[in-house]
Amino acid sequence: MSIITYIVDNWGTLGPQAVTHIEIVAMSMAAAALIGLILGVFAARSERFSTLILGVTSTLLTVPSFALFGLLSIWVGLGNPPVIVGLVLYALLPVVRNTATGIRAVDPAVTDAARGMGMSPIQVLARVEMPLAAPAILGGLRQATVMVVAIATVGATVGADDLGQPILEALGRSSGTLAQVLAGVIPVALIGLTADLILAGVQRALSRGTAREAGG
Amino acid sequence: MITFDRVSKRYGRVTAVGELSLEIASGEIVVLAGPSGCGKTTSLTMINRLVEPSSGTISIDGRDTAGMDVNALRRSIGYVIQQVGLFPHQTVAENIATVPRLAGWNRRRIAARVEELLEMVGLPPVEYGRRLPAELSGGERQRVGVARALGADPEILLMDEPFGAIDPVVRVRLQNELLRLQKVLHKTIVFVTHDIDEAVRIGDRVALLSQGGVLEQYARPVELLAHPASPFVAQFLGEGRMVRRLALLRVRDAHLAEPNGSGLPAETVGADASLRDALDAVLRAESGRVTVRDADTVLGVIDSESIREASR
Ligand SMILES: Nc1ncnc2c1ncn2[C@@H]1O[C@H](COP(=O)(O)OP(=O)(O)OP(=O)(O)O)[C@@H](O)[C@H]1O
Ligand SMILES: [Mg+2]
Repeated sequence: MSIITYIVDNWGTLGPQAVTHIEIVAMSMAAAALIGLILGVFAARSERFSTLILGVTSTLLTVPSFALFGLLSIWVGLGNPPVIVGLVLYALLPVVRNTATGIRAVDPAVTDAARGMGMSPIQVLARVEMPLAAPAILGGLRQATVMVVAIATVGATVGADDLGQPILEALGRSSGTLAQVLAGVIPVALIGLTADLILAGVQRALSRGTAREAGG
Repeated sequence: MITFDRVSKRYGRVTAVGELSLEIASGEIVVLAGPSGCGKTTSLTMINRLVEPSSGTISIDGRDTAGMDVNALRRSIGYVIQQVGLFPHQTVAENIATVPRLAGWNRRRIAARVEELLEMVGLPPVEYGRRLPAELSGGERQRVGVARALGADPEILLMDEPFGAIDPVVRVRLQNELLRLQKVLHKTIVFVTHDIDEAVRIGDRVALLSQGGVLEQYARPVELLAHPASPFVAQFLGEGRMVRRLALLRVRDAHLAEPNGSGLPAETVGADASLRDALDAVLRAESGRVTVRDADTVLGVIDSESIREASR
């Protein structure tokens, strides 16, 4: 198999690129999870804020990724930073939307009982609403992660040294081979699948007592 | 003692509760009854301030609740809501531990309390403690709801149609269990229902509300059934109220006849049976007379005339 041989032969460069790829995804997802959760909680509380934030985040998703990364690179420079910032923006919609939906889906009887027993608003959120919304939130994180793993390849256009590089090089050269393209695509697919499986496991573990939410 | 002093709750132009004044004595079960939408839940939840009154004051043992820390107030009052509202992601034991945990009890004390409460509501701790609410029947869930409300041993218990969604047979059993618990616990219980039969069975007193949270009558069940204060009350009580009232009276309290020359009737009824059961026995008895026994002692003889007298 020439593809496998190619990957093994070029592991010296592909390996570090895969690591960078994972780092970019991990950093952007960590930031997106934090920001998305907070925005999602506010969106669950206020209909007007919900309309606003979902409008903004879905509009962001319509901006072509190389254009967004390009614009951001003017601002934060070339390399990984514009890619990380851009991916955070893309990842927000699924996280915000699922967080808001998950919290809103909590039975009002349950939150009434919690308040009636003397939980403060923060305690109701942390002990009741978040645990019950967790499967939905994880579903959003899964969607976002799979998307971000794929889009991160475009980051190569602004100089991110991730798995987009072998693809970009192959496409930019007349001598580029299919093996070169696949050398980037296959590890990206494996990273996406692995991340999804791990998050699906977490989602299942957190679903205790709550309706299983579809993840994909 | 819980005191409502001209308490109103308005939502825009709608008056949910209007100028309600009510005294709920410590250690009594007071039932708030009335048709759907008459303001029962609103009145109840103004006690733990889930709903804040628009005007008027509610005080507990003379202290205005408006000045109290709201979460501390709620932790001191047990609350069983209309749809139970158990936390689906927590085990039965964790649910019951909610208020003790909020109050910062230590682990050992909480575990002991949970066990005690599960025993109290008739659910063996070993079998039920680790189950999730989804793994319980409706009746079991209601019991866990009651146990959870009793968590930190509050003086006051608010119960909003706690047995609403339960089939009639289990419902009567749960009512009896509550009455049995109350004999031991002596809590001040405010109990909401739209079922008048439940109201007169459970309540030491019944507050009957009509639309807009207007107090139509506040009386002991036997008084309410015998002397409805308004046509609304009479209509809400429904058909056959004097017969139903017999269920609330004890044979022991009736004026019994001495056994006459013809000897004791073979049919018997216990002294603690209701007059309704006595009437049933009288109607079945050949002679129309029934012997009243208290264990081995004969107290006398009861007939339709003595039942009629006792029911006035
Ligand atoms: N948050 C609210 N906003 C506006 N109106 C309300 C609100 N809560 C209750 N109401 C109104 O106040 C009235 C009393 O409501 P409440 O829930 O106290 O009735 P209830 O006696 O408990 O009825 P049910 O037996 O159906 O539970 C109703 O007309 C209801 O529509
Ligand atoms: Mg109600």
